[in-house]
Amino acid sequence: MLLQYWPNNTNVRFMSFRLPALLFSAILIAASFALIFTKGMNFGIDFAGGSVIEIEQPEGVQEEDVREVMGGLGLGEVGVNAARGTGVEAIEVIVIRFATQPAEPGMDQDTAQQQANDRVRAALAEAFPGLNVRSSAAVGPKVSGELLRSGLMALAVALALMMAYISVRFQWKYALGAVAALFHDVIITMGMFSLTQFEFNLSTIAALLTIVGYSMNDTVIVFDRVREEARKYKKMEPDKVIDLAVNQTLSRTLLTSGTTLLALFSIYLFGGTVLSGMSFALIFGVIIGTYSSVFVASSVLLLLGLDQGEKQRREVEGFQGV
Amino acid sequence: MLNFPAWKVILILIVLVWGALMAIPNAFTDGFLGVEPREPQSDAPQDIAAYEAQMDAAEESWWPGFLPTNKVNLGLDLQGGVYLLTQIDPAEVAANRLETLQTDIVQALNRDPLIQRDVPEQQGTTLPIQLRNPEDMEEALRRLRRINPTIGATGSDRVLSIERVGPQRIMVSVSEDAQQALAADAQGTMITIIRRRLDPDGVSEVSITPQGDTRIVIEAPGEADPRRIKNILGQAGRLTFNMANMDQSAVNAAQATRPPPGFELLVDEFGRPMLVNRTPVVTGSDIASASQGRNPDDNSPAVDFRLNGTGAERFGQTTANNRGQIFAIVLDGTIMSAPRINEPIWGGNVQITGQFTLDEAQDLADIIEAGELPAKLNFIEERTVGPGLGADSIAAGTNASLIGLALVGVFMIIAYGLIGSFAVGSLLANIVLILGALSGLGATLTLPGIAGIVLTIGMAVDANVIVFERIREEQRNGRSPTTAVIAGYERALSTILDANITTFIAAAILYLLGSGPVKGFAVTLAIGIVTSVFTAFVVTRWFTAMWLRLARPRKLSI
Repeated sequence: MLLQYWPNNTNVRFMSFRLPALLFSAILIAASFALIFTKGMNFGIDFAGGSVIEIEQPEGVQEEDVREVMGGLGLGEVGVNAARGTGVEAIEVIVIRFATQPAEPGMDQDTAQQQANDRVRAALAEAFPGLNVRSSAAVGPKVSGELLRSGLMALAVALALMMAYISVRFQWKYALGAVAALFHDVIITMGMFSLTQFEFNLSTIAALLTIVGYSMNDTVIVFDRVREEARKYKKMEPDKVIDLAVNQTLSRTLLTSGTTLLALFSIYLFGGTVLSGMSFALIFGVIIGTYSSVFVASSVLLLLGLDQGEKQRREVEGFQGV
Repeated sequence: MLNFPAWKVILILIVLVWGALMAIPNAFTDGFLGVEPREPQSDAPQDIAAYEAQMDAAEESWWPGFLPTNKVNLGLDLQGGVYLLTQIDPAEVAANRLETLQTDIVQALNRDPLIQRDVPEQQGTTLPIQLRNPEDMEEALRRLRRINPTIGATGSDRVLSIERVGPQRIMVSVSEDAQQALAADAQGTMITIIRRRLDPDGVSEVSITPQGDTRIVIEAPGEADPRRIKNILGQAGRLTFNMANMDQSAVNAAQATRPPPGFELLVDEFGRPMLVNRTPVVTGSDIASASQGRNPDDNSPAVDFRLNGTGAERFGQTTANNRGQIFAIVLDGTIMSAPRINEPIWGGNVQITGQFTLDEAQDLADIIEAGELPAKLNFIEERTVGPGLGADSIAAGTNASLIGLALVGVFMIIAYGLIGSFAVGSLLANIVLILGALSGLGATLTLPGIAGIVLTIGMAVDANVIVFERIREEQRNGRSPTTAVIAGYERALSTILDANITTFIAAAILYLLGSGPVKGFAVTLAIGIVTSVFTAFVVTRWFTAMWLRLARPRKLSI
């Protein structure tokens, strides 16, 4: 239908922008690193340890009342904030946060954290009878350290496997281009999290891995075309070949990003507060991933030199005829 | 590519119908399906009423028994519940083991000739032994080696390291390696005991699983307050009956210096100190059963228990020999009660009274009956979701999915018209298959898992889009609709596989390295990738083939 009116032969000279685009990306990456190392990430309790308790706001109870109850417990700095709870109907909630607790002699910090959590629950139950606790979580520093390590490990393993897969299916130059794009996406998304100080937690890692998968998906589709056209037009300039491939896949790239973003925005807007951090990361990542598969992956491939017509891996014929 | 013989069509239909059948139970209540509903979440009248209504419905259900009734497992973040990660401290397991072995060690060394100088004092996981004469060294080492048990029932490694550290001194200790091995061995025992404590009747849905060698994960759906579980599991449950001495001068002397050898100073519930003999008369393993009871004097809650044959015999004998003395019932180093022995107690029925509430008495009875944990459980991570938040999350997730589905569907039809609606059809089939696969595999759906489904909705059309774009191109190059469709599918296949395999790799890594809710996301993402390739490449193609044959269009309007 409407797509019939999409121009048949777009001819945008993407590769003529490769130097400004690479420069732009380099600046974004540098800025992201600067942010990550100076401002840091706003680690949630998954990675920093600590407690978060969310209670339904009892009638006639204000933040100050809760703060007063917390003040008597000797937990150090306690954050008490009113917020809107997840859900279809708006529910007023109060979120209580406190950091890792010092250990008493003969007890580790992880256990101390649990006991502090229990003390808070007991104090709240006593101060506000009939209180509805929406959620509570307490993560000790040992566990949070492990979670962070295994999260970063997952990212590293994912990147390595992607690179291996592309090396096998394509060529090492394609693999380098694709992985450059992935690093680009992951680092800039992390920079975005540092800039906005959105909470960085386990679901953010899940989102980053999904972005890696998605961006890879996009890159593979462009590269698939590049390889096909490179074989077809052996005499064509490499940058023209890449431009041709990118233009041919352009409507697909935009359409798929469009539907994915539609789905993600519906999670962001209607999926409740628990998912908002994750969907924010995904939305940002899909946009940056779409950009990088055109400008970063292809530009790096072009810089490394596109092979046309030499011995290349043939497509695996066995895939045909499902 | 467009040739669908009968067997292919039948296969496709079988997959779709199977998916639908597996998915359908999710739309109905347990009662409708004739399944016994879950226990009510609380004693609140509305929960009980809802439970009974479901029971009644289950009896009248006409749902055929041969159809599936499995629903998608909801994660704790959706149905509400408590997740606890616990850590076993290997050093503590080792110290406790050494303490129980101490009796054997002392006995072995006390046999004629007596070769130790005084009763050894355990320090953590080590036990220094001082000999009377250096000549006894060889004999002492021989005796100790003979009683050194193996780790676990089948292992060849020994619990104790026995070293000579001086001419008259032997150090008995549990090495780091042995500590780790003991902890790993204790893990299984602890899981059994935890289950007996939390689920004495075997009806609750609590799940207790090992993680690594020294951790145990406890997941209790429907539980709203983690403190109860922590209370029940937080104590080792080491119950002993020991002879005690309340004599004020002896206690004062012990407080001033140190307790005499073989005794320790403990405090009862009123804060009164007394000297307790370290060697127990009766231990937890002598207890046959425990239950919540009533104190006959004032009808207050109490814990009754019954000793087994040998325990009752030993207890009766000891009480007969120590009339007028005091014995202490000690739980985890605290004296629960310390009655005076007025007459011998034969028969092995004992009651602990104290300041219990009914629930506390019941929990304590469960703890004692379940037996002693080889070490205390340390809680290191807790995540609790209340039932309210869980229900809200399900509602929000469902809303987001439906809105996402509608947006993507409308978008596809606007973009591609008729052939776009085929893609929407296969998108619906995709959702049904995802739900069916989740139910059939018994996988767990979490809130991030719902996000995974919505994301799949967005990405599932990708394979369709790749094919459609190829078809458009082929048609532009002058091919007829049928050949354009054939070429489009043929040339898009390897692209689609390459693109989806990479996302699948990411999902697989998430599944292997992720935890809890994130794992749920990986599962739906992975299942969604498989089903979306199937629906896009097979189901949409089948729709398109049928349409091409029936309508014989001269040009595809895409």
